Amino acid sequence: MSLRPYLTAFGLQWKIGLRYRIAVVAGLVAQMWFGAVTLMAYASVYHAAPDVQAPLSLRQAMTYTWIQQSLFTLLPLGCLPAIGDAARTGAIVYDLLRPVDMWNWWLSASLARLLGNAVPRAVLLACVAGPLAMLVGLGAWSLAGPASLISATLALVSIALGALLSATIVMWWNILTARTLSPLGSYAVGTPLAVLLSGMLLPLPLYPDWIRPFLLAQPFAGITDIPIRIYLGTPIPGGVATGLGLQVFWLAALTLLGRLWMRQTVNRLEVQGA
Amino acid sequence: MTQSPSRTLSGPGLYRRMAGASILAQLRYPGTFVIQAIGNFVTTLLSFFGIWSLFHRFGSIAGWDIGTVAVLYGLVNVAFAVAETLGRGFEVFGGEYVRTGSFDRLLLRPRSTLLLLLGHELRLRPIGRFLQGLFVLAAGLWLAPHVQWSAVLVLPWAIAGGAAMFLGVLIGQAALCFITVEGLEVVNVLTYGGVEAGQYPLTMFGRWLRRFITFVLPLAAVCYYPTLFSLAHPDPLGMPTWIGALSPVAGFAFLGVMILAWNRAVAGYVSSGS
Repeated sequence: MSLRPYLTAFGLQWKIGLRYRIAVVAGLVAQMWFGAVTLMAYASVYHAAPDVQAPLSLRQAMTYTWIQQSLFTLLPLGCLPAIGDAARTGAIVYDLLRPVDMWNWWLSASLARLLGNAVPRAVLLACVAGPLAMLVGLGAWSLAGPASLISATLALVSIALGALLSATIVMWWNILTARTLSPLGSYAVGTPLAVLLSGMLLPLPLYPDWIRPFLLAQPFAGITDIPIRIYLGTPIPGGVATGLGLQVFWLAALTLLGRLWMRQTVNRLEVQGA
Repeated sequence: MTQSPSRTLSGPGLYRRMAGASILAQLRYPGTFVIQAIGNFVTTLLSFFGIWSLFHRFGSIAGWDIGTVAVLYGLVNVAFAVAETLGRGFEVFGGEYVRTGSFDRLLLRPRSTLLLLLGHELRLRPIGRFLQGLFVLAAGLWLAPHVQWSAVLVLPWAIAGGAAMFLGVLIGQAALCFITVEGLEVVNVLTYGGVEAGQYPLTMFGRWLRRFITFVLPLAAVCYYPTLFSLAHPDPLGMPTWIGALSPVAGFAFLGVMILAWNRAVAGYVSSGS
């Protein structure tokens, strides 16, 4: 089996993600704005209740928010746009005809699309929210460094797993799109789920205590929440191993079930168009 | 060729005709409409769950009770939903009218370009945001202490002012398209970012942001002050409460300024050709 077709699919989508430089700058401004509004809100909530022992300190909540903002485009918000178009026009049959494993083919494209969007934005925002904010005297609002060198290394491993997990969830949206022949459903379902369950809306550790175990155990936590917790060194029940274990578990489970679902969908796929 | 007067539609008549056609077109795909509206409802409702979780953990939102915050939240969401419903034509203006050159055709018609663009689409999807905003608003009025009877008048007035303000932002965004051709996503900072900032009490923000959302974008005038007035809540920043009964007029003033800017921009329009 040659890896080359998958690398080509990856390279193509990666370049598409990098091409829109103005969109990257526009996204940066939007993320700074949302980051600033959220940070000020958290700061005044924390300051108004100084004796509440929250699972995250204010400084940690701020760092959490910045990393979350910078990784926004890594979230599985919907299907891969190219597959949405292909499903609508009927061009999806070409993908079926290719002598490649379709799961890996789509997965490499989805992963590249996520990374091509997220990596430049994340690096830019990390520079602005980290060193640059320190320099202009906003150190108290900036992105704090990792808890230790070990946690930084483990967080890198974890974020790589998180990206792969996100691409696997995008695969589920892709199959949904192939099934319903429209990308709209995947966005309608994917965006709210991803925004809430990944911790984009509110850091997962800050939700009410009774719901926190469920929030940690669901697959979306593995995309950004677990890597950020490892980075911050906040305790995860059972330690870092639980975090990484959950990521690997969801990766395996979603891949196996997804492949099954894909086979079933492809077998009964009805294509529109002539 | 003579035309009987009854065949010539007045401005409002024409708008009714266009809006009716747009609604019928959207109801052609009832499944898509229902899914999108539900997705919209759930997404926006979940974002209130985030605020509620903060309240739950810290006992207050920076000293504000949940009722007041819910009223603010409901107000800004309902106002934005109304503007989103009406202003779709301005949102897509760059891509669909300026880039393609089809704005030239609108200029040939003997009606105001603003009216024709308002008639581009009366979008039904924001009904999800609208309903959940009303729902949270009602819950807030139920929970908040000292709700005034005058709220019956002031809140609809504030919603109208807020809708006018957000519509003004969309018109301003469209006017910018004459320079930038494609729509600028940075303007989302004022629309979606405005909703994000408007749902928290003004006191939670730093001075630069407070000034921005009071004097540049009159967000505080259409949300914060009318809410204080309706709930007889004294302003911690020292403004008299009665100001909230008058301040929504600032939303209409903002819309007026944006319409002037629009007319200037149209006067200087040069077609991109085709």
